[in-house]
Amino acid sequence: MNAAIAPTVEPTAARRTSRSARHRPAWRRGAALAGLVVLGVWIVIALTLPWWSPHGPRDVVGPRLRPPGRHAWMGTDALGRDVLIRTLWGARTSLPVAVIVIAGAVLLGCLIGAVAGAAGGLTDAVLMRLVDITMAFPPVLLAMAITASRGPGIGNALMAMVLVWWPIYARLLRSQIVAVRHREFVESATAVGASPLLTLRRYILPMSFTPVLVNASMDLGQVVMLTAALSFIGLGARPPSPEWGAMITEGATNFYQWWIALCPGLAIVTVVLACNFVGDALRDTFDVRDTFE
Amino acid sequence: MDPTRETVMIRELARTSSSARRRPRRGLGLVAVAGALATVVGVAPAAARQAQADTLVIDRGMDINSLDPARAYCDTCQIFMTAVYETLVGLAPDNTTLVPRLATSWESNAAQTTFTFHLDPKATFADGKPVTSADVKFSWERLKGLAGSASYMVSTIQAIDASDPHTVVVTLTQPNSAFLAQTNGSYLGIVEQSVAAANGATADPTTDKAEPWFLAHSAGSGPFVLESYEPGNELRFRRNDAYWGTKPAFAEVVIKETPQAVTQRQQLEQGEADIAMQLSADVASGMAGPDVSVQKVPSYNFVYLALSPGAAGGEGLTPQVRQAIRLALDYHGLVDVTVGGAGRPQASPIPNGFAGTDGLAEPTQDVAKAKELLSAAGVTNLTLDATFPSLNVYGVDFSTAMQKVQADLQAVGITLKLNPVEISVWADKIGKDGIPVTMLYFAPDFTDSSQYVQYFGLTTGSQWQSWSKAPANTQEADQLSKAFAEPDPARRAAVYHQLATMMIDDQVIIPVVNPDLFLAARSDIQGMHYSVCCNLDLARLSRG
Amino acid sequence: MIRYLARRVAVMPLLLLGTASMVFVVSRATSGNPLVSIVGARNLNNPVIVAAAKQRWGLDRSLPVQYGRFMINLLRGDLGTSFSTRRPVLRDLWDRLPATLELTIAALVLGSAVGILLGVLAARHRNRALDHGARAVGLLGSSLPAFWLGMLLLYLLYSRLGWVQGPNRLNARVRPPTRLTGFFTVDSLLHGQWSLLWQACMHLVLPATVLAWGVVGIVSRLVRASLLEELSSEYVRVARAMGLRERTVVATHALRNALLPTITIVAFAFAYLITNAVLVEKVFSWPGVGSYAVEAARQLDYPAVAGVTLLGGLAFLLTNLVSDIAYTMADPRIQLS
Repeated sequence: MNAAIAPTVEPTAARRTSRSARHRPAWRRGAALAGLVVLGVWIVIALTLPWWSPHGPRDVVGPRLRPPGRHAWMGTDALGRDVLIRTLWGARTSLPVAVIVIAGAVLLGCLIGAVAGAAGGLTDAVLMRLVDITMAFPPVLLAMAITASRGPGIGNALMAMVLVWWPIYARLLRSQIVAVRHREFVESATAVGASPLLTLRRYILPMSFTPVLVNASMDLGQVVMLTAALSFIGLGARPPSPEWGAMITEGATNFYQWWIALCPGLAIVTVVLACNFVGDALRDTFDVRDTFE
Repeated sequence: MDPTRETVMIRELARTSSSARRRPRRGLGLVAVAGALATVVGVAPAAARQAQADTLVIDRGMDINSLDPARAYCDTCQIFMTAVYETLVGLAPDNTTLVPRLATSWESNAAQTTFTFHLDPKATFADGKPVTSADVKFSWERLKGLAGSASYMVSTIQAIDASDPHTVVVTLTQPNSAFLAQTNGSYLGIVEQSVAAANGATADPTTDKAEPWFLAHSAGSGPFVLESYEPGNELRFRRNDAYWGTKPAFAEVVIKETPQAVTQRQQLEQGEADIAMQLSADVASGMAGPDVSVQKVPSYNFVYLALSPGAAGGEGLTPQVRQAIRLALDYHGLVDVTVGGAGRPQASPIPNGFAGTDGLAEPTQDVAKAKELLSAAGVTNLTLDATFPSLNVYGVDFSTAMQKVQADLQAVGITLKLNPVEISVWADKIGKDGIPVTMLYFAPDFTDSSQYVQYFGLTTGSQWQSWSKAPANTQEADQLSKAFAEPDPARRAAVYHQLATMMIDDQVIIPVVNPDLFLAARSDIQGMHYSVCCNLDLARLSRG
Repeated sequence: MIRYLARRVAVMPLLLLGTASMVFVVSRATSGNPLVSIVGARNLNNPVIVAAAKQRWGLDRSLPVQYGRFMINLLRGDLGTSFSTRRPVLRDLWDRLPATLELTIAALVLGSAVGILLGVLAARHRNRALDHGARAVGLLGSSLPAFWLGMLLLYLLYSRLGWVQGPNRLNARVRPPTRLTGFFTVDSLLHGQWSLLWQACMHLVLPATVLAWGVVGIVSRLVRASLLEELSSEYVRVARAMGLRERTVVATHALRNALLPTITIVAFAFAYLITNAVLVEKVFSWPGVGSYAVEAARQLDYPAVAGVTLLGGLAFLLTNLVSDIAYTMADPRIQLS
């Protein structure tokens, strides 16, 4: 069943001659490196900002709606706050949210996937139907339905995104287990009396690590984007907090002051692009077959 | 699929395709395709100009909840109701004088319990039938019976006598000097009984089936009739060519769903729209050029801070603390931050311009006194929950305003924990536990001060008495009954003045900004205005 | 194969009922109060008005009763009446679906065309500047938040430069074409209303481009990979050996085979587009299902939320099914069981 509702990346069972890492050009390595650097810079900013930021994210620094200039490099917003400073502070919301969502989804998904794959039978069927039901929704719609009914806010948005994302990992891990279960080394391990748990830990999980990692690194960027999208339609973080999507919403109400939306938008683009570069490189390095984005 | 629904859709399709036949339909041959480019270049501008001459386009974020006259209750509904259904009493452009509309004259008894209206015998509905007292009785009884949101305005009606076709005698359950103003509110528009009843309208919510019909048709006597309505897209009016009064200038009016102020501005500047009334000060301030004119007019809308001493966590809001909060606010700063200076502070919960507000002193900031009051009361490190609906109303962004309030209160040592939520969540919370400090807005439904006392006053069971859980103020209830029974406008104003002062002293409702309204229109549009009862009266507009 | 498909189709209603139940549970386990959008904040304390509203919308019943009614109506094909539009949800969706489909299909066509072009160029100039450029364009597309890009382009191309038409599907002064398909471009073409057709296209071009960009990367990457594979295959080598020009080889032989697997991702791309259409519709005031969904979610319009999620779920299931079928057709080695 379910031959084709594929997770983002599938494990190595390639049906096509693989493009191997040999042909990876310098440009791509450069891109991956650039991605790592950009992510690194953002992480450093997010961690150290309180020690060197000249203002807090809610401090009024000058007249309102001032274009980029000497006082505020990227201009000021409707309350006279520095757009650039707020964008930097935004990293302290967006990045942790993305990491928590992915970590939560990976944990929940892998747990359910492992149980389904290991148990098989009815448990497997029921859990996989649950996966089907959840995956039957476009992520934005499901996240919207959840945040709308739980009440908007970054916490609920976070929960909604975990609920949207876990099935991918559940399916990924389950397919991995199913694929590996009948391979000789697993069967022989079982034959010599290794407990299922040991087999899982020693043989199956290490093999699943790579596709999960690749998927997670690409998804990180997508979560940053979805967080911003939810805030943009008013269901995620709310304006006083310097979240990127919320800032873009403020920019949308002050559309003619283009600088308000420009900076947070660029922040999202750099993070997502960096995640994609890194994920792309990981995918090539580990030679994981890419299917769809 | 539900079979009835399917037939509705099929009928819909049949209807649209049959009307298609009326249009000249060119062939799909190569010749036509070849001629296409020429047509695009040559005919399009002419067609656009032609359309522009008769069609008025208004950009609005429509908040329509219904087009059924007994259920409609929203800002855009006021425009709709005024255009399509007429009230007995109209409002002059000065926003205070009552003028004849369907009724030529009216009188009330001294006790303000019986109101008599004499209908204009010339008045007819769009289908030519005369407007009679039976229609009035039917419309108001249905409004009351269905208990829609606007029904509170007719809740005091006890009986309507329609024995004479041109005379309506309304008996109320209690004195209500505001009744005339309420009949002037657009929601009390008159519906043609025979047409509505034929389409399922009754005064009983369990048997009434007319709402779907009213979403696509109208049965009024107004200058326009409903042409079509697509929720979230457009509301289209057609001129009532059989209108019994002065016929309106535009043959067609379209209200286009355009929620964002910036989009409204763009479309106005590009000439795609004629009118935009929901521009914020920031968006409106950049508008210039010979094609567009922007008027700034004072409005009766306002945004207020509400302090609830009886809310969970609001125990610290003693009268002294509430007074200190009132003194700590930088009112002019709030007006600057929220609406770029296009507005003013407001003294009492009754907005400037309504009866009883003459001579009320504008609130002022006095940080030293506020601190003194707090230290005298022994209050230090007071932290209050400030959950508020994250709204942007009348150009005021609540989170902007609340952040300014937060900064002002911080300066006197009171910490607000801001928590912006969706209004549905907010409503749930304030209805259950109450919220110590919050923010909301108010716009009048008609031109009488009583609505403010009923909503904001601490009379038992009023909206804010129950939300704030503050002890009821029996004096206010007494004064309100006095105002309701007072036939003389001047003496009534004096009572409302007292009530306004009492509500200021309650220190539960603190108005923070009374924003101006920006009426932006293409320069060739004549007659732009803002009306308290009706928002915008489409019949007064023309292109010159 | 047939049995497999029959089983897939048979399971669909069950999946949808499952999703419907989930939506019901999630939306009622809420702290929100939908009454505020029904009666307005002003009347929340008026017992008569609140009671009437609760009674009318069935909110006075216990949750199990509400659930039972919801499911029974659903089985009869009735999605209920929206709190905010006061019309049957099915009718609302029926009215708004064409706008969303027109936008997403336009974006899909545009995105695939550009994606295929870039993919072919990248494969033919493998590991050279053009390849990297194509990849960068694709990656950038999937990294730009569509709502942000839409806003910036609207500001630049419409407000500042006036090159394209602005928000909405048509200029407000003109009447939309009489509905046949609901696609303004198609309907105006069928009626021979050329100026309308032109205007509809000019309104469509910007949102469709914004949406399409996100698909370009997915398509071009796949086309590149499968074309490279075909180009290294036996028959291409034979064709080359026979002295056919490279262009002919690529265009007539390799590309045709390489495009087959691309069909499978069209379904996926469509899902991506529907997701992002929600955001783009908001930016462009596009009266489609997406903006309906956002409003429904914000106002806690239970029937509308359920209707939209079910429609989204149905679309997802169908595209996945189509994708599966296309998958087997493109590659006979895949067996569905």
